[in-house]
Amino acid sequence: MNHSTTAFVADDFKPARVTVHAEQLSRPSLSYWQDAWIRLKKNTRAIISLYIVILLGFFTLVGPFVWTTDPTLLDLGQISQPPGFSKIALLVEPYQSWDGIILDDFPAEPDEYIEVIPPPENFRVVDSPTTQRVRLAWNPVDGAAGYNIYRHDHKPTAFNDLGLPLGSTFGGNEVSYEDRLDIDSSTYFYSIVSTDGIDESELYTVIEIKPRQIITVQAALQRGLLTAVEANTALGKEIKLEFHPLGTDALGRDMLARLMYGARVSLFIGIVAPLLFVTFGVAYGGVAGYHGGRIDALLMRFADFVVALPFLLFMILFKIAFGIGPGESGIFPMLLALVMLAWPATARLVRGQVLQIREEGYIQAARLLGARDSYLILRHIIPNTIGVILVTLTFAVPSAIFTEAFLSFIGMGVAPPTPSWGSMCNEGVKTMLSHPHELIFPALFISVTVLAFNLLGDGLTEALDSRLRSRE
Amino acid sequence: MFKYTLKRLLAGVITVWFIATATFVAMHAVPGDPLLNDKAVTPEIRRNLEEKYGLDKPVFTQYLIYMGNMLQGDFGISFTQQNRRVNDIIRDHFPVSAMLGLLAIFFATAGGIVWGALTATYRNRAPDVVIMFLVILGISVPSFVFAALGQLLLVNINSWVGYSLIPVAGWGTIRHMLMPALVLGLGTMALLTRLMRSTMLDIVNADYIRTAKAKGLSPLRIFFRHQLRNAILPVVTILGPQIAAITTGGFVVELVFAIPGLGRYFVQAVQQLDYTVIMGTTVFYGAFLVLMVITVDIIYGYIDPRVQLE
Amino acid sequence: MSDIVLDVKNLRVEFDTYGGIVKAVRGVSFSVPRGQTLAIVGESGCGKSVTVQAIMGLIPMPPGRITSGSAKLNGQEMLGLSPKEANQFRGVEIGMIFQDPMTSLNPTMTIGDQIAETLIVHRGYTKKASAKIAVDLLDKTKIPEAAKRARQYPFEFSGGMLQRSMIAMSLACNPTVLIADEPTTALDVTIQAEILELMLELKRTEGMSIILITHDLAVVARVADDVAVMYAGQIIESGSVDQIFYESAHPYTMGLKEAMPTNKPNEERKLMPISGSPPDLFHPPAGCGYFARCPHAMDICESNQPSGFRIAADHYASCWLHHELAPEVDALHLVGDQ
Repeated sequence: MNHSTTAFVADDFKPARVTVHAEQLSRPSLSYWQDAWIRLKKNTRAIISLYIVILLGFFTLVGPFVWTTDPTLLDLGQISQPPGFSKIALLVEPYQSWDGIILDDFPAEPDEYIEVIPPPENFRVVDSPTTQRVRLAWNPVDGAAGYNIYRHDHKPTAFNDLGLPLGSTFGGNEVSYEDRLDIDSSTYFYSIVSTDGIDESELYTVIEIKPRQIITVQAALQRGLLTAVEANTALGKEIKLEFHPLGTDALGRDMLARLMYGARVSLFIGIVAPLLFVTFGVAYGGVAGYHGGRIDALLMRFADFVVALPFLLFMILFKIAFGIGPGESGIFPMLLALVMLAWPATARLVRGQVLQIREEGYIQAARLLGARDSYLILRHIIPNTIGVILVTLTFAVPSAIFTEAFLSFIGMGVAPPTPSWGSMCNEGVKTMLSHPHELIFPALFISVTVLAFNLLGDGLTEALDSRLRSRE
Repeated sequence: MFKYTLKRLLAGVITVWFIATATFVAMHAVPGDPLLNDKAVTPEIRRNLEEKYGLDKPVFTQYLIYMGNMLQGDFGISFTQQNRRVNDIIRDHFPVSAMLGLLAIFFATAGGIVWGALTATYRNRAPDVVIMFLVILGISVPSFVFAALGQLLLVNINSWVGYSLIPVAGWGTIRHMLMPALVLGLGTMALLTRLMRSTMLDIVNADYIRTAKAKGLSPLRIFFRHQLRNAILPVVTILGPQIAAITTGGFVVELVFAIPGLGRYFVQAVQQLDYTVIMGTTVFYGAFLVLMVITVDIIYGYIDPRVQLE
Repeated sequence: MSDIVLDVKNLRVEFDTYGGIVKAVRGVSFSVPRGQTLAIVGESGCGKSVTVQAIMGLIPMPPGRITSGSAKLNGQEMLGLSPKEANQFRGVEIGMIFQDPMTSLNPTMTIGDQIAETLIVHRGYTKKASAKIAVDLLDKTKIPEAAKRARQYPFEFSGGMLQRSMIAMSLACNPTVLIADEPTTALDVTIQAEILELMLELKRTEGMSIILITHDLAVVARVADDVAVMYAGQIIESGSVDQIFYESAHPYTMGLKEAMPTNKPNEERKLMPISGSPPDLFHPPAGCGYFARCPHAMDICESNQPSGFRIAADHYASCWLHHELAPEVDALHLVGDQ
């Protein structure tokens, strides 16, 4: 406040030459697209999504050349395999039937009625257990009229937790069982209980067995794992089985290969259908908006009707109306149905935009300067709507992918055996409890794809919103 | 108000007519023989059947008859269950779907409003980040995956408590409905949460909120009386289309949870090419959705004083 | 000087933005005597709205921040209070009306309810009693058919009517100070006059003080007792309305006056816009904020901030031209003495 303390001299009060003018633009001027691109790049989520989309493109287009396993090949030796490394199998002879052990004498009838028949003793495995068969045998139990055998993937905790009922023997003298049901090379817990012919006993014994992975020489030959020359001396040797990094489905088909081919179908519908219906919608809405008046009213009324059709029901109706011949995948009917039903949203949006832009001052000005319709459309209307169209397109992709998945899931989509992510989910859900990977992988691909396109769409919306520019 | 309702209803009737016609055209374009599914079709039986369903008449006559019947509310007789009227099928199965849909809508709106308000209030803090992550998940994961996961969850819950606390599938009690309705409503809930959050954030900066602060109102009062009330309005506007999405989305949930709703029946009818059931159900759903959209619009007119219905 | 109702000292406000910290208000002091009208004048972005919003606790924090200063209402500090404490005076001791009445009222609540709300919250009136007072208040602000209007929604009102309702709302608890933040900017000229007239009348009848924020010198001339001219986040000149208009002591005030149209058509005078634009408040200049635009700029102005030179009783100007070593600039007073 007190100026006298600071020593100023008269020189300080000379008129100044103002060189720096206050009016200076601190931000460089950018074109609309440059500006949008810069802001999109700042949006980490959108950029990560962009990379994911690019990766998905590689996965779909380049993937099948890198991972050449045939997606239709049934690997019946490895059904519903979880993801993992390639397995080593023992080469063996073809399955030879086993007579089992049937004693001549029935077990003795006890003198008095036994409330609870004890489980057999010496419950054991006969021969070495393999994925081809597991052979079990036990000692007879007095008073037993048969035995029930169960298999479980963890140690049973109680009588009601014995797992999968494999089978029963009828007669107390039949003291062996051969399990050939879908055996993996993982640890199993086999349980046995005695029955009195009607009811089960509540006592059980358990053994833990880890069968060895095998493959017959013939099968290995067929699958091209062995040459004919090698086959002669192969018996008893070990061999590497086909590698299924993401496991196999219920028919033993390679998941990774199927996911790649499924991606072709899902992404084809997911990208081509939006391209088609957005293009149609833009043309339709553009015509309506540009002409206005009666034509506009008429066109938009029709669009309103199409919007009112229950979408998924009509997707199904149109799909069956177009029909799927034998051997066809049904991709094309679905594409057509999607295009026929999904265009009005874009048409409405573009019409609104065009109506609005048509009334802008700069259009009027250009008109006064003698601009023709074609010039106005190319130079003003299209550049000003392209942002909105791009955003619509980005958001149309996930919804088309969803539609495909939804229809394929309820069995109204692409026809088997053509894989699509949706139809893979449909198959996977059936084995959800025992082999969750068959559902999880296709579901994950759908979700990640949809997520990426959604986030990209959000990013684009923000980047192209010119209102936001001034807010920074 | 009355005039507006009448006008909307009239437009609705025309829309339903369009839906019915489109259905008719689509079904008559289906290649193949509608009677092919019947076993042992002697020419005589075939003639009788064609007569019964009016297939012997010219297409346009068929269309007129079909429209005439529909005007009287008669959707005809099922092709595959020949003693069952389509009306009966709808009457038996639609209430189940409607119940499921209603509960789903309830979950979705209640959840959407609560989560949306919460995220907006705790913007960029932990609750917001967590909920918005779940919302993105809810938008990106297909409903059938949720259905499958929901079922898996129930299996685990039931095995943990040791008895069937919440049934994994089927229909009957309120306990049967909970999980399917929740799963069905998840997608919409995510969408509404997002919408609610963005409108809440817009409103936080609105001039009238500043006025309310300048008036010396408590933050709680501002939140409930000024912010929330205005933020819910846009949620109501998209409820109409969302009801449509939820009703048809019910197909998958009904399939996965083995619920005897109309959606599951429709899928079955399509697989068996049961023409009358397909047509009847489609037109019925279409009319239902048109009615829903009109209802929501009219309700909106009541809650938003700015909308003048004429 | 009569007793001071509101006393603001050295207020500083900053905002964190993406571009950096904006120093929006840089040491503002003023006081409002009882029953008087203080006009704060300045171009948009000079910090006048931020100043009063800071006093009212309406600045969103974050990104806003009051870094220093005090604001005393009848001797009681108002800055740094919790919302609960601040609500003891907001709407009670100080009423506030805003620039855009169209968006400043809740669109989904009736006018009457919005006025009554203040009474219910602060005075504990019943719904019925407060509704009745709301109608009286609308009547007082000259809204015809007040009883019917109270039941209507904002969208059914015109801009002028809405601003009247805003005034009615701010008057509900008989405040000692009314802050009007550009109350007439969004309105038609004829409506502006009516609103100003109403405010003047209410000032007389209710005996309150008014802080009027505006960029319109015509409005200032009409209603103000005292004037504070703000530029780049600082008050650069303050004094009575006559002092500001007829004895302007700051080049910026001069410039503002020259840029103002007159209603004397035969007078030969050109409108003179002030060239350039205010400094970037991300990096406020070290010296005088007006340096770059000032026709009388001196070397000292670039790096040394001038502070209030006393021109006359209660008339201060922050300009080096009033330093004893500065050259006499006649032009300053020549233009002023029209």
